[in-house]
Amino acid sequence: MTGSGFGKLSSAKLLAAAALIAISSGAVVSLSVGYVVHYSAPATRTFYLFDGTLPFSEPTFYNIPHDTFVPDTITVDKGDHVVIHYINIEDVSESHTFTMDLPYKFDATLYGNATQQGVVGTYPNVGNIVLSQGQNATITFTASWAGTFRYLCEFHQPTMTGYLVVIG
Amino acid sequence: MEALNRLKFLRWSAVALLLVTGIFDLYYGNSFAGFYENLWYVMGGIYIFAALVIASNIEPHFSQLTVFAYTLFLWSLWATVALETGTGLDAVAYADKAVEAILAVNMVLLFRSSRISLNPR
Repeated sequence: MTGSGFGKLSSAKLLAAAALIAISSGAVVSLSVGYVVHYSAPATRTFYLFDGTLPFSEPTFYNIPHDTFVPDTITVDKGDHVVIHYINIEDVSESHTFTMDLPYKFDATLYGNATQQGVVGTYPNVGNIVLSQGQNATITFTASWAGTFRYLCEFHQPTMTGYLVVIG
Repeated sequence: MEALNRLKFLRWSAVALLLVTGIFDLYYGNSFAGFYENLWYVMGGIYIFAALVIASNIEPHFSQLTVFAYTLFLWSLWATVALETGTGLDAVAYADKAVEAILAVNMVLLFRSSRISLNPR
């Protein structure tokens, strides 16, 4: 090694040359990849989620719940910060849950209804919250895993099920 | 003797920093979603491989210079992508890049020391 050109150069010159090549090639590679891929940074995606009712009588159809989620599909990019404002708009005294399939968990802030106003509770890193009639919740999480994951109401299965689609 | 001890210290601190950076990169790839996460796995794997090479003292002058260049290459890559797209600007990435900066300084000191010392292998 010492007999080569590499060995003859001083340490300072070798380090400077290596640094120059490394830094410039790093910049060129990232700019080239960015030019080809047109990547956009993860964003905050906000959704409004409601409970809905299908137009049929539950006792008539074997007590299958007629409750649904509106919307029943939420599509985001992997890495996005997701904010869901979930509102229980029932006109009768009926509760719903917002439950997510693992590995997803979320932070939730639950707000009261007409009789109990303001923040009712904050729930960090949970997989399930219950909303009474008229309550609403702000649910936040980061879409860290790509794939399709259910969000559901545990009280109204199987119909009240939605899907979080994370494109990775 | 003092020079040899200094060289050994610099070599093993470089190994430790390389392992820490490699683990950071693997953790980042696993935990933080978004574009490029597979590259973080590759970068972490290369850092851990580099730690083994530096620990084994294989072709020290060449390997130390290469690891130094690799560290700066990734730093430049990250900085350019961050400026261009706003990605990789979070606590884990900052910690990773801070350790990488210390590693680069460590590699400079190690390279300079090993060029003027006996090979401690």
